[in-house]
Amino acid sequence: MPLAYTLPSNLSPATVANTSSLLRIVALALISGAAIASRLFAVVNFESIIHEFDPWFNYRATKVLAEKGFYEFWNWFDHTAWYPLGRVVGGTIYPGLMATSGVIYNVLHALHLPVDIRNICVLLAPGFSALTAWSTYMFTKEMKDESAGLLAAVFIGIAPGYISRSVAGSYDNEAIAIFLLMYTFYCWIKALKTGSVLYGTLTALFYFYMVAAWGGYAFITNMIPLHALTLILMGRFSSRLYTAYSSWYAIGTLASMQVPFVGFQPVRTSEHMAALGVFGLLQIVAFAELVRAHVSSKQFQSILFGSVIVIGLLGVFAFAGLTYKGWIAPWTGRFYSLWDTGYAKKYIPIIASVSEHQPTAWPSFFMDLQFLIFIFPAGVVLCFRELRDEHVFVIIYAVVASYFAGVMVRLMLTLTPVVCVAAAIAFSSLLDTYIDPVEPEVPVASTEAETPARDSPANVAPGSATTSKKAKKAAAADASSSGLASGVLAALSPSGKSAKPRGIFGLDSRALVIANALGMLLFFVLHCTYVTSTAYSSPSVVLASQNPDGSQHIIDDFREAYYWLRQNTPQDAVVMSWWDYGYQIAGMADRPTLVDNNTWNNTHIATVGKAMSSPEEVAYPILRKHDVDYVLIIFGGLIGYSGDDINKFLWMVRIAQGVWPEEIQEPNYFTAKGEYRVDDQAAPAMKNSLMYKMSYYRFAELYGGNQAVDRVRGQQVPKTGPTLDYLDEAFTSENWIVRIYQVKKEDPLGRDLKTANSFDQGKKRKKSKPLSRRKAVV
Amino acid sequence: MPRHWRAPFSFILSVFILPLCTSAANSFENTAIVRTVELGGALVHVTTTYAVKALEDGSSVYTIALAEREQAHTSWLEAKLKGESERLPLEDFGYHQDSGVFLYTIELPKALNVNQTANLVIETVQTHATYAWPEEAGQKEGQSLKYETELLVLSPYKTAVQRTKVRSPSPQVHSYTVPEEVEFTTDAVATKSGATITYGPFYDIPPSATSEFVDKKQKHITVHYSFDYPVLEISKLQRAAEISHWGANLNIDDKYWLHNAGPRLKGHFSRLDYQTQNYFGRPGPHTIPSLQLHLPAGIHDVYYYDLVGNVSTSRLRTTPSLPKGAEPNQYSVLELRPRYPIAGGWNYSFTLGWDSPLEDYAGYDKTTGKYVVSVPIMTVIPGAVVDEAEVTIILPEGATDVDYVVPWPALSETLSTHITYLDTVGRPKITLKYAQLTDKHGGNIYVTYKVPFSAHLKKPLAVATAFAGVFALALAWKRVDIRISRK
Repeated sequence: MPLAYTLPSNLSPATVANTSSLLRIVALALISGAAIASRLFAVVNFESIIHEFDPWFNYRATKVLAEKGFYEFWNWFDHTAWYPLGRVVGGTIYPGLMATSGVIYNVLHALHLPVDIRNICVLLAPGFSALTAWSTYMFTKEMKDESAGLLAAVFIGIAPGYISRSVAGSYDNEAIAIFLLMYTFYCWIKALKTGSVLYGTLTALFYFYMVAAWGGYAFITNMIPLHALTLILMGRFSSRLYTAYSSWYAIGTLASMQVPFVGFQPVRTSEHMAALGVFGLLQIVAFAELVRAHVSSKQFQSILFGSVIVIGLLGVFAFAGLTYKGWIAPWTGRFYSLWDTGYAKKYIPIIASVSEHQPTAWPSFFMDLQFLIFIFPAGVVLCFRELRDEHVFVIIYAVVASYFAGVMVRLMLTLTPVVCVAAAIAFSSLLDTYIDPVEPEVPVASTEAETPARDSPANVAPGSATTSKKAKKAAAADASSSGLASGVLAALSPSGKSAKPRGIFGLDSRALVIANALGMLLFFVLHCTYVTSTAYSSPSVVLASQNPDGSQHIIDDFREAYYWLRQNTPQDAVVMSWWDYGYQIAGMADRPTLVDNNTWNNTHIATVGKAMSSPEEVAYPILRKHDVDYVLIIFGGLIGYSGDDINKFLWMVRIAQGVWPEEIQEPNYFTAKGEYRVDDQAAPAMKNSLMYKMSYYRFAELYGGNQAVDRVRGQQVPKTGPTLDYLDEAFTSENWIVRIYQVKKEDPLGRDLKTANSFDQGKKRKKSKPLSRRKAVV
Repeated sequence: MPRHWRAPFSFILSVFILPLCTSAANSFENTAIVRTVELGGALVHVTTTYAVKALEDGSSVYTIALAEREQAHTSWLEAKLKGESERLPLEDFGYHQDSGVFLYTIELPKALNVNQTANLVIETVQTHATYAWPEEAGQKEGQSLKYETELLVLSPYKTAVQRTKVRSPSPQVHSYTVPEEVEFTTDAVATKSGATITYGPFYDIPPSATSEFVDKKQKHITVHYSFDYPVLEISKLQRAAEISHWGANLNIDDKYWLHNAGPRLKGHFSRLDYQTQNYFGRPGPHTIPSLQLHLPAGIHDVYYYDLVGNVSTSRLRTTPSLPKGAEPNQYSVLELRPRYPIAGGWNYSFTLGWDSPLEDYAGYDKTTGKYVVSVPIMTVIPGAVVDEAEVTIILPEGATDVDYVVPWPALSETLSTHITYLDTVGRPKITLKYAQLTDKHGGNIYVTYKVPFSAHLKKPLAVATAFAGVFALALAWKRVDIRISRK
C-alpha cells in the first residue's frame, strides 16, 4: 500500500502501546494543569476570594461543616436568614458541594496540612475541572478512541462555557456538578456497553452524588430514560440495556431519596415520572421478550396488540389521576419557563429578574464555545455514521442540550460538554484522515513516478501534483480502509462519481489541512484565554479600575461596608437589602437579613420590594414590624457602577406589584412620556420612594453647588436632594457604592418622626394641623 | 539589654527593707522632687526626678511610693541616675497594708554616705489614665480628654521642695483644678503658662507615704485638655512567630483588634462630611484614617488582611536587611489604611504578617551547640496601648533544650506542642501572655534551642515513606486479580 510518508517499522507493538499510554498520561496531566491554571486568573489578578452571591452561602455553610462537624451542619437552623422566619439549612440545600469540601478539609488536616477552608472552597472548582477533563476523556474514548478523548479533554478543559461557572472562587454547585454529570454519563455508557451490574451501580452512585450536589440532576434523570426509550423504539432492546437501566434506576432512585431536600420527589413529581415510566416499560418489554420466546408468533402478535393498548391507557389514566389527586406534583414554574420563555416574566417575576435566566443571545454561543460550535454539528453527523447505542446518546444529548441552551443562559453549561465531545469526534476524524499516511491506490503506471517523490521530501510538492492528476484517473480508492472521515466523503459524494478515486494524496494537501486545523486550535486557545481573563474572572465583590498611571486600582466598597457592619453594629442587628445581597451580608457582615438569594418566599421578597418602593411613611411601619435596624442599598451613581439598586428598582416594583397590585403600580414609576428618569422630571412615585431617597440623599451636596450628575443613568440630579425623616444615614462607603441607613426608633414623646424632625430643625408647625394630644398616662 | 527585674539581691533587701516605712524613713531625704506629666491619648508619660540626700552612711536602697490610682494605671516603670543610661535594679514590693501605697525599691549603684547626694529619675508610663470628655463628639467637633491625678508626689522620706508640671500636647487647656486649702505653700497653688500647668512649689513635706497623709493632705487634680490625635487602643494582640530552618525564615503573624478609645461618634458617620473635611485638609482629630507602622528591615511577602479578605489599601516601602550588629535605625514603612476610617468608639480587626530572613534574627553558638533567635515582642505603634497580648513562638520540629529570656516578665508562660505542615511529632511552642503593653515595651525575646541533624530529616523521610507506601499499594493492586471468573 502506498504511503505519503514512511513510518518507522522496527518498533515492537508493545513499545508503541507503552509509549502512547505514557504520552496519554502526560497529555492528560498537562490538560489538567492547563484547566486549573486558566481558572486562576481571578486569584492572580485579585486574591483568593469567594465570588458573586450564591458561593458566599455555600462558603458559609462549608465553614459550619468544617468547624462544627457534619451533624451540626445537618441540623443547622440558620436564624439569621429570612428574618424572622429562619431557614432549615440542612433540609433546603444540596449538601454535595459542602460535603466534598468538608471531606477534603478533614483529609488534609489529618495529614497535618492546615489548609484554610476558604482556600479549599476557592480552589475546588479548578480542581474539579481537571477531573471533568479526565471524565470527558473517558466518555469520548467510549464514543470514538483515545485521541478524540484527549481532544475532548482539552476542549472541556479550557472552553469558556464551562470556565464561566468554574473559575477559582466560583464556589457553586456547578463546580463539581459537571464532573459528576460527565462521569455518570460515562458510567451509563459503560454499563450499557457491557451490560454490567457493577457499572450500572456505579452510575447510580455517581447519580446519587450528583443529586446531592446540584438541582440540575433532573437533566440526568430525564436523559437516561430518554436514551433508553429511544433505544427501545429503535428496536435495540437488549438484556444489556435492561440490566444497566434497572440497576441504575432502582439503586439511583433509592439513593437520591436519601437527600433530604429531594426526599420523596422522585416518586411524586412530574419531572421524575419519565424515569419511572421507562423503568416500567422496560419491565414490560422484557416480559414480552420472555413471552415471545415461549409462544408462537401469531399468538404473540395478538397478545402484544391487546396489551400495548391496555397498558398504555392504564398508564396515562394513572398518571393523570395521580396528578389530579395531588399525589404527583404538577410541573413547576421553572419547568414551564423552559418551554415558554415568556412564562416567567408574566407569572414569576423573581425568576425572570435573574439575568442568568434570560434567553441566550446568539453571540454568546460563539463567545463560550468559539469554533467548537461550528464543528459540533459535524460531530453529531459523524455519530450517525456508526450509530452504536452510545452514539444515540450523544445525538439525543446534543439535541436536548442545544434547545435548553437556547432558552436559558445558564444552561449553556450543560451544552458545553456535549459540544466538546462532538467537536472532538469531528476534529479527531479530520486529523485521523489527514495524518493517516495511507494513500489511495493508484494504477501501476504511476507508481514509479511517485517513488522519488516519496523518498525525497524536498520534491514532494511537484511530485504530489502529478500524483493527484494521475490519481483522478485511477479508480481503486479504498474508502473503508482510509478512516471514518473519508468514509463520510464517500457517503457525501454523489453515487455517480463513486468510480473516481477518493482519498488524500500527497503531503501538501495533508500539511495544508493539518496546519489549518492546528491554527484553529491555536486561535481557540487564544480566544479562551482572552475570554476567561476579561469576562469570567471578576469576583464581582471587588471591582477593578485603573489609576492614571495604568496601575490597578481596586474598588472595595462592598467589603468596606460589610466589614463596617460586622465590626460596629450589634451582633443581632437586622439588615434589610434587596435579596441579591443577602448571602453576601450573611457571609461577610455576619448579620441577619430579611431576604437572601435563596428566593423561596415570594411574599417576603415582595415585602422588601414594597418597603423600597413606597414613600417613607408607608415603609416605616413595615420596617419596624420586621425589626429592621439597618437598610443597605447599592448606589452606583457616583462612579458609574451600573449594577446598582436604582437599575434593579423596577424589578422590586414588579415583584411588589405581584402581591399588592392595589398599592404598587409599575406605570407610576415612569414619567408621563413613559421614561425611567431620576432627574427633575422623575415621576412623583419614584421621587417619594424610599429607594430613590436613600440613593440620592445628600448626593447633590457632594458637588458643592455644581450640577450633580448620576453617571450611571447620565441624568442631572436635582440640586435640592431628598430628605429623610424616618431613617438616618449610618455609613457610606468610599465611592458611595454601598449606603447604609439606620431605621430610627419611635419618637420617645409619641410624635410621628416627621413632626419630631421638623421640630428639631426649628420649623414651625403648620397651623392647619390639629394639636397632637398627649396620651393620658395610665 | 533585656534583664530580669527581679535581681538576685532582692532576698537581701527583703530582710531589712520590709519594715521600712517606720525605720528606714530616716536614711534619706528628698531635697527636691519634680514630677512632669506629659499628657497624651492612651498613654501618659510621667517623669519624676528625685534629688536625694543620704542621712546615714551606706544608704543604698531607695524606696518610692505610688498611690493606688497611679499604680492601677502604671504599666511601665524605670529608674535611672540622672544623665546615665544604665537602668537601676528595681523591685516591686506590692501593696503596703499600713500605708495604703505601693512600694518599689531601687538599689543605687553605690551606697551613699551622709550628705552625699544623687539624682534619681523615675520614668513611668500610664495607660488608660485619660478619658474622653465629653464622652461623645460629632464628626466635625474636636476631641477633649480629661486626666486625673494626685497633687503631691508621695514619698516615705521627708521632702524639702516639690512641684508637679502637667504638660498638655496643645495649648488648648479647657480647665484645670486649682485645689484649695493646700498646706506647704503660700503662693498660688497652680500657674499656667502656655501648655504647661505648674503645681507648687510645695515646701517641707513630711514623709507622705502613709494613709493618714493621703487621707488628710493629699488633693485631687483634673486637667481637661484638647487632644488632636486619635486615641489608639489595641484591645487584643496575638503575635505568632514561626521559626523555620528549612526555609531559613522567620514568619511573624500579628492579629490586631483595634479600637478607637476617643469620644464616641455622636450621631452617625457621614461620608460627605468626611470627604469635605479631607478636601479642606481639616480631618477630624478623633478619626483614624490610617496608621504608619515601622516594620523591621529586610522583610518580604508582607500580608495585610481581615476577616473578609485582603485589604488593598496599604502601601509598603521595604528596606534591605541590615548587617549584623548594626544599629536598628532603618525600617520598612507600612502605611496601613483600614477598610473604613475608624471613628470614635469603632472597632477594626485585621491580620498583618511578613516573612524575614532567619539569619537576621538567629545565631549559632558553637560552644553550646545552640541556636539563639531573637523575636520582637511586638511592633510598636506610637501612642497606642495594647491591653492584652499573647506572643507565641513556634520552634522547628525536633527542637530540644528550649530556653528563653524575656525582656519583661510575662503574666503566664506555657510550653506546649504545635502540629502543622506535615509534622510527625509536632513543634515546641512557647506562649507568653502580657497585659498593658506600651510603646516602651518593644524588646526581644531570646530563645535558645538545639536542633539535631536527624530532626531536619524527619519531614522528608515521613513524606517519602508515605509516598513509597502509596506506590507499593498501587503496585500490589495492579498485580492482584480480583475477578470472580476469568473471561
